[in-house]
Amino acid sequence: MLRLLSLLLLGSALALSGCASKVDYGDAQARETVNTDFGSTDLQMIAAKMVDDMMVFPPIVQMTQNRRPVVFVDRIKNKTTEHVDTESITDTIQSKLINSGKFRFVDMSVVDRVRQQLEYQSDSGMVDQSTAAAMGRQIGAELMMYGNFSSIVKRDGSTKDVYYKFTLKLLNIQTGIIEWTNEKEIRKTRSKSLFGL
Amino acid sequence: MTLLRPMLALLLAAMLAACSATNMGRMEVDEDGETITKVYSSNSLLSSRISVQDLKQKTVGDLLYIQATLENDWKFELDFQYKFKWFDKDGFEQAPEGQPWRQVVMAGRSQNSVQAVAPNPSAVRFEIWVRE
Repeated sequence: MLRLLSLLLLGSALALSGCASKVDYGDAQARETVNTDFGSTDLQMIAAKMVDDMMVFPPIVQMTQNRRPVVFVDRIKNKTTEHVDTESITDTIQSKLINSGKFRFVDMSVVDRVRQQLEYQSDSGMVDQSTAAAMGRQIGAELMMYGNFSSIVKRDGSTKDVYYKFTLKLLNIQTGIIEWTNEKEIRKTRSKSLFGL
Repeated sequence: MTLLRPMLALLLAAMLAACSATNMGRMEVDEDGETITKVYSSNSLLSSRISVQDLKQKTVGDLLYIQATLENDWKFELDFQYKFKWFDKDGFEQAPEGQPWRQVVMAGRSQNSVQAVAPNPSAVRFEIWVRE
């Protein structure tokens, strides 16, 4: 009787120790499948495919052979029903492209702050003019990066299927020609089943 | 009473099985004028089931562009993840956190080609890592 009790106690101690919640760091590049919403793995897959494809497209290879074209990022239109931070996707793409050494970027989101700094340097009288940055010497962008992000969600009983499509385009602002475009499609399905079969 | 002990043993085994760590297998390709494929693995099951059938490489612009054909030697479906790692001539890994693990599901005895582009022109060597 005593042995049975001690065995039960041991068993319950082992089982209950698993009930404490635990916080730990995970691998940022690991596959995340918490639910079918837009997730970190989707963002990484999209950025990786877009950059890989852009860098081997022959006209782009030709364009970047001897120089680094200047690009500005417009925006990715979020046409899904979820809240998706599309600027985060373009930030990753921009980071990979700059680090490849093939492209240069201008940032439209800091124009006002840069103008403030330039005005301070030239007009305030506090900055040594021989070290001040000159106004009117910024390099003009020649390519515009923009795109669309859409999804198709279908539900039927216990099955939910989400299809994402991310389209990215590179437009030459002088000629109006789309120099490069590509898409990434992602499908995530959630199915509930009995007994995990 | 006679049933309790084997049941407890089974319960313990089941709990501990969930604790096993994911093992990694690794395929390395060396560049010394010729390409050699070696499989390094702590997961002998995975490495014995995947083989590299074909390896193609070319330089696009000045970036390394790799296509590897993986073959599933097992007769059942194999579900695993792979990642390319890139190294420069001094052996430093390029963009160590740049790529996610990509999922691939291969039907029994099938071949699948995987492609990747180097993150920057200084990458001259690569490794393909696989894990469950």
